[in-house]
Amino acid sequence: MNKTLGIAVMMAALALALRAEEPPLRPVADPRPILQDLQRKMSTLNTVCLEFAQERDLKLFAQPLRSEGVMLIERPDQIRWETTAPFQSILLGNHEAVAQFERIDGKWQKLKLGFPQMLRRVMEQMSAMNQGKLDALTSDYTITVATGSLAVLTLTPKDETIRSMLASIQVKMLPDYSATREVVMNEPGGDFTRIIFKNERRNVKFPPGTFDQSAPLDIAAVKTAITHAP
Amino acid sequence: MRRSFLALLLAWLAAGCAAPLPTRTVASPLPADGLLTERAVLTARGKQFALNGYLSQSAAGGRRLIITEMFGQTLADVLIKPDGTVQVLRSSRVLRPAWIKRFIAADVQCIFGGSPGPVRKLSETHFEIRRLWYKLDVQIVETRPGPQPKELFDTPAKP
Repeated sequence: MNKTLGIAVMMAALALALRAEEPPLRPVADPRPILQDLQRKMSTLNTVCLEFAQERDLKLFAQPLRSEGVMLIERPDQIRWETTAPFQSILLGNHEAVAQFERIDGKWQKLKLGFPQMLRRVMEQMSAMNQGKLDALTSDYTITVATGSLAVLTLTPKDETIRSMLASIQVKMLPDYSATREVVMNEPGGDFTRIIFKNERRNVKFPPGTFDQSAPLDIAAVKTAITHAP
Repeated sequence: MRRSFLALLLAWLAAGCAAPLPTRTVASPLPADGLLTERAVLTARGKQFALNGYLSQSAAGGRRLIITEMFGQTLADVLIKPDGTVQVLRSSRVLRPAWIKRFIAADVQCIFGGSPGPVRKLSETHFEIRRLWYKLDVQIVETRPGPQPKELFDTPAKP
């Protein structure tokens, strides 16, 4: 018992020490060179495949509400955001159109979307963020950068109405800006949604049908094709 | 001219309408204390919206529903007290307070409260509500039984 307690205390002390050594985030006075560097680095990416875990943290609930899925991006403008648990849903977007599919009773059903322009805009912004095209977002957001153990880009909506619903978006990246690790959407009341990205695969070749807005290829088939590609 | 306008208006209304289901009651799929995650598709005027719902229930009979869109933005937050009174705690441009109070709270009571309404049970976890103006397809995708925080069912103090 004493030994276990001792190990626990040591681990806690170690964790504290490690945290203490983590450099604090420092705001960058002029973020423009960093944003240009980021865009240059990300421009080498033709495709990216990421798995995500989404946590909706509401003050009212004891535990976060979780979902998970996959995000696929192909230059210049294709994006697929697929939730795989606890429900199944596919969002597909490009500059021209957006489509959504829901899995109901074991069958995919294409929705007749209301507000498709709004959804397309959200998808475009997500795609731009993940391709480092942050200059495309400066008309809608004020962007600040802080660096430390992670690089944190904070996007604050310029529009007051939007700001009343979405206080800010934080994009947390590796310190060398080579990959996005986490996106946090903060609401004015303190609730937030965190999207944690993992298992990133770059410059993969997506099979035909991956971004098909009429009959998208099943995600299992997409993953198999990526895994077995030469 | 007037007749053709009337015909057009009727056609427009009919395009957005679904034949309402007969009023009936279904047994609640909700544990006495627990949290349900729902995925719903709302069809209104020929357009569809996918929504997430998080419904908490206390053994005392209080219910609290939070509706969000795909990326987590809260669209509605409604508290239904054990005596059936409804309080809209949060609304949005998509879901207005009057709509939440009149329809969403009623639909919650229909599926989960045993109140009579135009509901059809398609399976243990799948329900359909069809009113004159809209159709709601609700799937329960996750159930977490257990007591929920008491504050969920209290009227929040005014800031």
